[in-house]
Amino acid sequence: MIRIAAVGDVHLGEDMRGGLRPALDKVGEHADVLLLAGDLTRHGTVAEAAVVADEFADLAVPVVAVLGNHDHQDDKPLQVTKTLQDKGIHVLEGSTFVAEINGCTLGVAGVKGFGGGFAGKCGSAFGEREMKAFIQHTCDIAACLEQALSELDTDIKVALTHYAPVPDTLRGEPPEIYPFLGSYLLGEAIDATGTHLAVHGHAHFGTEQGMTPGGVRVRNVAQPIIRSAYAVYVMEAAAA
Amino acid sequence: MESEQYLAANLRRTVAEDPRTAELGVRIVVRGDHAMVSGDVACEDRRRALEEVLHEVAPELTILNDVRVTPAGEPDGEEDLR
Repeated sequence: MIRIAAVGDVHLGEDMRGGLRPALDKVGEHADVLLLAGDLTRHGTVAEAAVVADEFADLAVPVVAVLGNHDHQDDKPLQVTKTLQDKGIHVLEGSTFVAEINGCTLGVAGVKGFGGGFAGKCGSAFGEREMKAFIQHTCDIAACLEQALSELDTDIKVALTHYAPVPDTLRGEPPEIYPFLGSYLLGEAIDATGTHLAVHGHAHFGTEQGMTPGGVRVRNVAQPIIRSAYAVYVMEAAAA
Repeated sequence: MESEQYLAANLRRTVAEDPRTAELGVRIVVRGDHAMVSGDVACEDRRRALEEVLHEVAPELTILNDVRVTPAGEPDGEEDLR
């Protein structure tokens, strides 16, 4: 059994320092690992990343994160990443985290993800340079996610993104903005790789529960949705 | 007079793009001389900042601030996915 805590969209800044810490200090009582689904900062500054790094440092469980769009706002994603890594946070972008917990192996593959829309209602890499770049960015990220997930050989495989892989967990958001909230290409990567759970954030007005076309559970853990410091999901390795 | 739709769209872009707010996760509805802002933000200061920025760019409007502060306590239970 593995207990997975997860939260996204905490949007920390100096004005929030220490705000999550009372709940985080007890995360070991609730969970075995903590996933952060992006938008950890407000403006993506290194100063805000330092607040995030301090907030999630020295917890009782490993912390695994992806960045979100807010974490790119200051155009310093590499410095933000390093600031988090320096405090022991595992930051994924096309990469994986593996741990053995309670005799069960857990693998997490993470990417920021991007928009583009969902099957039948999505953009194409065609036309203006800007449109091609927009969709190609999603294609590239989805390919990275699929590669990282396919490299995992663990009892439980989790996909961690900021953007949504399915429209289910966007219910409550205006349908017109779905193309800015996620992409079916992420869901396709999840379904192609024997993944057991997909966790994302980004959609503050969405809903927590969803499922990919291939039957993989999806959870939107944006903090305004889960309304706590983190949500906890209990999983077990599938019977051989 | 600026139409309510354009005004609401411009206010929404303002609170997303103004670094004092940087809030993409709020809704703004304009009706007559009232603007209602709703959604969740991380702390009370940011709730106040939204109201201040909106008042600054549209002083003629009465702001109904229905924004909530997201709770950040320990979770109430867990979901069993076994």
